[in-house]
Amino acid sequence: MSLYRPHLVRIVDLIDETEDTRTLRLELTDPEVAGSFEFKAGQFGEYSVFGSGECTFCIASSPTRDYIECTFKKVGKVTAAMRDLQVGDTMGFRGPYGNRFPLDEMEGKNIVFIAGGIGLAPVRCVIWNTLDLREKFEDLTIVYGARSVGDLVYKRELDEWEERPDVKLWQAVDPGGETPDWKGEVGFVPAILEKAAPKAENSYAIICGPPIMIKFTLPVLEKLGFPKDRVYTTLENRMKCGLGKCGRCNIGHVYVCKDGPVFTATEIEALPPEF
Amino acid sequence: MKPEKLYLTEAGLAKLTHDLREAGARVIAPVLATESSSNPVADYREIEDAGRIALGGPLPRLSLKEFFLPPTEALLSWRQVKGDISLDQPSGDYPRTVVVGAFPCDAAALPVLDKVMGWDYRDDPWFGRRKATTIISRACAVKDSSCFCPAVGLSPDSLKGADILLVPVDDSGNNHLVEVLTPAGEELVEAHRDVFESPPDEGKADELRKAALDRASENLDIEPGAIKSWLESNFEHDVWADIADRCHGCGACASVCPTCHCFDIIDEPEGIDRGTRRRNWDTCQASLFTLHGSGHNPRPEQSARYRQRVMHKFAIYPKRFEEILCTGCGRCSRACAAGMDLPEVLRTLDQLASSSEKQTEASSTGGVG
Repeated sequence: MSLYRPHLVRIVDLIDETEDTRTLRLELTDPEVAGSFEFKAGQFGEYSVFGSGECTFCIASSPTRDYIECTFKKVGKVTAAMRDLQVGDTMGFRGPYGNRFPLDEMEGKNIVFIAGGIGLAPVRCVIWNTLDLREKFEDLTIVYGARSVGDLVYKRELDEWEERPDVKLWQAVDPGGETPDWKGEVGFVPAILEKAAPKAENSYAIICGPPIMIKFTLPVLEKLGFPKDRVYTTLENRMKCGLGKCGRCNIGHVYVCKDGPVFTATEIEALPPEF
Repeated sequence: MKPEKLYLTEAGLAKLTHDLREAGARVIAPVLATESSSNPVADYREIEDAGRIALGGPLPRLSLKEFFLPPTEALLSWRQVKGDISLDQPSGDYPRTVVVGAFPCDAAALPVLDKVMGWDYRDDPWFGRRKATTIISRACAVKDSSCFCPAVGLSPDSLKGADILLVPVDDSGNNHLVEVLTPAGEELVEAHRDVFESPPDEGKADELRKAALDRASENLDIEPGAIKSWLESNFEHDVWADIADRCHGCGACASVCPTCHCFDIIDEPEGIDRGTRRRNWDTCQASLFTLHGSGHNPRPEQSARYRQRVMHKFAIYPKRFEEILCTGCGRCSRACAAGMDLPEVLRTLDQLASSSEKQTEASSTGGVG
């Protein structure tokens, strides 16, 4: 089969996360493909609407589930077309591509998940992956912030994590983004992380969000004592092939599609400033 | 393998072309695109007889890339019937092709590109066409102010990427010493043994080869290894703003380049219920190339985009694939409307590299001297 031929996937559910952000739940239509399909937390895919084109997103759902989810904002041609699709419609999916979060290495350790805005999507994949295999991991802490209450994604899941005794959730909105009934924190992610003060010993951190959030959160992690090679993030760059050929996602000699999208803070530091 | 040497006359080449076509192969060769003798222009095109082959130049406007990675090609087509989508893809059968008279700088690009087309994921259309094609290169006797193949480790009679090399043996340029270089080359010679003569008359072959190399070496003398090291440790440098100031970002350099391989994938609807997904040549010189959906662009300025092009060729690709992503054909300089000149850029980088090396040496020896 051609490298560029996508699997056909059917939309089985559609969840509006915010005013402009939507999650699609997809199932592979070919039972044979579905039977052998596997991916790991952190990998991504090329999603397509026939007639509009392909678009790159992480797989936002956990590999422990038998579906693929992507969460996207309507910003361009393909996402606008995806926005018009309904439950039952067919799309294309190529993948999974890229490397993964080293979950096997994280077994028996504490994990701190830190995300901002729609950056929760790739982190959520790992959160559910670890929650579905809960006994394999020690303390799980989630620090999640968005601009406003209306910008929080996966709200039903945030409520679920809030309730669960086996995960500690800190959710926050930027100052001014709160509503009168907001019970979470008010402040920026780096400050909330400092307040949460997860212990660094025997711990890993997984972080994804806007560049400005990452920039100010990394020093906090360092202060808390997290070694840089135990801090993981996932990068995104414009991509076409996802296969290391089309030539646009590289940062210096590093191809985000093949060497990434998951990198340690040590690896990120070594990259030229072009991302 | 010591190359088998044979001899091919002008008449032999004509018969070979005829016989290859008789046997069902498509023959591609450089041909003159204009009749103007003052400003001759050549292209690689399918030919019907050897009379049209322009072995002596000029270098074709586009490289051989278009026959392996076409400017546009269908990756798949879709059709929607009552909500059900069915996909179809090209057959994967590629026509048996022989390139006669490939310029060595164009042939050399093919094995260089095999690396990126084959790491982990094999690009089927690329390798399908590679497998279906036999390359007969012809030692180059053309040289202008833009050529610099010796500076990137090649030569006008480079064997790289060739299955057979023809070397002119006399000033007419029509009779050739034949060097058979690969099993695919042997297979072609075996199938058309009657057009080749043996033993070869080597004539002035050596002399012409040496003269061509001397001429081609005049343009540029650099150390690619030093440039690579310098590029890797000087990502942010004022030189890029100076160099790229003139660049329009049109991407003509990428179109004519034998090694630029970046592509786009787009959907072309044909009516409302069907269409084709295509891959098209693209260029890192366009700002849209890396523009994120959010509006963020990792390469917002032309200087960053030009740096990417040079770094991809002389630092990134060599680091990842141990090959320079440039064959010194000089087309980018010839095609540039703004007068951007890669040899000039490389000279500048070479000077920066050698002066920074000297500085390092000076500081490590105490800096007194």
